[in-house]
Amino acid sequence: MKLLAATNRYYLLLATVLFTVGSVLLYYGVRWTLQSEVEERLFQQRDYLREQVQRTGRLPGTPFEGRMQLSAKPQPEGLRDTLLLEPLENELEPYRQLTFRLQLNGQTQWVSLSKALLETYEVQRLILLLLVGVLGTLLLGVVLLNRWLTHRLWTPFEQTLHQLQGYDIRQHQVLQLPVTRIEEFAQLNHTLTQLSERVAADYATLKEFTENAAHETRTPLAIMQAKLEQLLQLPDLPAPAGPLVGDLYAAVQRLARLHQGLTLLSKIENQQFAATQPLPLAELLREKLGQLEEFMQQKNLQLDVQISAEPVLLMHPALADSLLSNLLHNAIRHNQLGGLLRVQLSATELMITNAGPALTAQQEPAQFFERFRKQNAASESPGLGLSIVQSITGFYGFTVTYGYAPDPPRHTLRVRFGPAASAR
Amino acid sequence: MKLLIVEDEPALRTSLVEYLRQDGYVVEAAASYEQAHEKIKLYQYDCVLLDLTLPDGNGLDVVRTLKADRSPAGVLIISARGALDDKVLGLELGADDYLAKPFHLSELSARLKAIIRRRQFQGQRHLLFQELTVFPDQAQVLVNGEQVLLTRKEFDLLLYLLTHPGRVLTKESIAEHVWGDAADAADSFDFLYTHLKNLRRKLQEKGVGDYIRSVYGVGYKFSAE
Repeated sequence: MKLLAATNRYYLLLATVLFTVGSVLLYYGVRWTLQSEVEERLFQQRDYLREQVQRTGRLPGTPFEGRMQLSAKPQPEGLRDTLLLEPLENELEPYRQLTFRLQLNGQTQWVSLSKALLETYEVQRLILLLLVGVLGTLLLGVVLLNRWLTHRLWTPFEQTLHQLQGYDIRQHQVLQLPVTRIEEFAQLNHTLTQLSERVAADYATLKEFTENAAHETRTPLAIMQAKLEQLLQLPDLPAPAGPLVGDLYAAVQRLARLHQGLTLLSKIENQQFAATQPLPLAELLREKLGQLEEFMQQKNLQLDVQISAEPVLLMHPALADSLLSNLLHNAIRHNQLGGLLRVQLSATELMITNAGPALTAQQEPAQFFERFRKQNAASESPGLGLSIVQSITGFYGFTVTYGYAPDPPRHTLRVRFGPAASAR
Repeated sequence: MKLLIVEDEPALRTSLVEYLRQDGYVVEAAASYEQAHEKIKLYQYDCVLLDLTLPDGNGLDVVRTLKADRSPAGVLIISARGALDDKVLGLELGADDYLAKPFHLSELSARLKAIIRRRQFQGQRHLLFQELTVFPDQAQVLVNGEQVLLTRKEFDLLLYLLTHPGRVLTKESIAEHVWGDAADAADSFDFLYTHLKNLRRKLQEKGVGDYIRSVYGVGYKFSAE
C-alpha cells in the first residue's frame, strides 16, 4: 500500500465518523431549539390568554396567527404533536399543541393552542443542508488538498527512490539527487549522496588495485619466465635439472594463463569492452573450427557442423573470439577419443554438444560456471573457461544454459543471443 | 645488428640483454624514458624493444619520436598492460609488433628476427642451416636445391626451430608460437610430438640429418652437434 493511501485511509475514517456524529447532533440540536422556540411561544400565548380572561372575563378575538380551540370536554393537558387539516391546501400538517384549563364564565374550558411546525421544519432543513454541505465540502477539500500536498511533498522522495533504483556502481557515478526544502528529505539525500560517494570511491580504489595488481604481477611473471628460459640455455646445466626447470616453467605458464583469464573477467565486469562492431558469427566460427582442426583430429572427434543461418552480432571482436574459443576448447578438452562434437548455429542461438564423461549425482550443472570449477581437479586448465563464457554472454544480454543427457553422456552448452543479434 | 632495449625492470632487462647478446646482437639498454630518448637521438638502431610503462614517461612517445625522425629502426613493443587499446595504438603509431608480458624469450627473439628480416634483407630473404635453405616468405624449404613439401604448421615449426639454433625451446613456447591460443584446446603436448615426428621424417627422407633433439622434460633443441 502506498504511504499516501495509508494515511488517507485514516484521515477518511476519522472524518466520516466525525461527519456522521456531527450531522446527527446537529439535526437533533436544531430540531430541539426550534421546537423549544415554538413551545415558548405557545406558553406565552397561554399566559396572555389567561391574563386577558382574568381581566376582561372573556376570550379575546383571535389575535394569534395560530389556532385556538375551545372544548367543554376535559382534554389531557400539556404539550403534544398533532396533525391538523389545513383547509386551504386540504391536507394534514404537523402542529405543536398546548392544552390547558381556563375558567371562563364560571365554566371550565379546555383550550388547545396550536402552532404549525412546517416553517420550523423548513428552517431546520435549510440549516441542516447548509451545514452538511459546508462540512462535506470541507471534508472533500481536506482529502483533495492532502492528496495534492502529499504528492507534491513526496516528489523529491520519489525522485530519490527512482535514482536509487537506476543506480549502477559500475557507471562510477555519484548520485545526483534533487534539492528539496523538506528537511528530512534533504537529510536523506545528503546521507545517500555521501554513501554513494564513499561506495564509488571504494569501487574505484578496488578497481585501481585490481588493475595495478594485474599490471604489477605481469612483470614478475615475465622475469620468472625469462630467467627460467635462460637457465635452460646454460651449457653445463646438469641433466636432472632439465625436468625440474621444465616443470617450473610450465607452472609459470599456468599462472600466466590464470592471470590472463582473471584479468579478462575483471575487465568484462568493469565494462572495458564497450566498443562493438557487427560480427558475422558463422564466419568466425568456421575460422575457429579451422584453427582447431588438428586438435579435433588428434582426438579423432566426429565433427558435425550445422550452420543454418548467418547471424550478425554486435560485439567486441576480442570478446566474440574469446566466447567461441572457450566454448570450443571446452568441448574438445572434455571430449573422449572418437567422441562427438556437434556445433549448431541458427539465427538465434549457438549450441555446442560434446560427448564426455558421465556426470555423477553430486555434480550440479550450475557449478560448471563457477570459477576454478573443474571436472577433473588434476587438469592443467585454470577452470575459468565457462566463467568467461557466462561473463561474456551476461555482458551482451545473451543467456547460456548447460544441458546434460546421460545415455550416452552428452554435454550441451546453448547460447541464446539477445536483442544484440540481428539477422543478415 | 644493433638493438636498444628500453625496460625499467632491471632483472628483466639483464635477461633480455644477455639472451639477445648470445644471439649475436649488439645490445644497448635504457632504463628510463629519458635515457631512451637520448639514445635514439644520438645513435642508429636496427630495432628498438620498448616497454610502454616507464617511470618517467610513456613508451609510446619513443615510438612517436622515432617516427618523427624517420628512423629506419624497427619497433617491438613489450608491455605489461596488454590492453587491446595500447596494442592498437602502438601498431597504429608504426610499431612493427607487440608482445604482452609475460612472454617467451624465444618468442621475442623469433619476432625480432622477423622484423629485422622484413626491414633489412630486401629481396634476398633466406636462412641457411647445414644442407637446409629456408625461404620464410615463400614458405619453401630446399635441400640441395630440391624442395621439401611441408604443411603450413610443419613449416612454421621448422622455421621456429631454425631461428634458434643450439637453443633449448620449451614445449610451451613452440606450441604457442605455432598454434597460438588454439593450443589450449589440447590437454597435452602430444600434438607437438606428432607434428615434430612428421617433420623429422619428411626431412630425413630428403637426406637431411636429424637435427631435432628432444630435451627430456623441457622441450626441443635444433642443433647440428
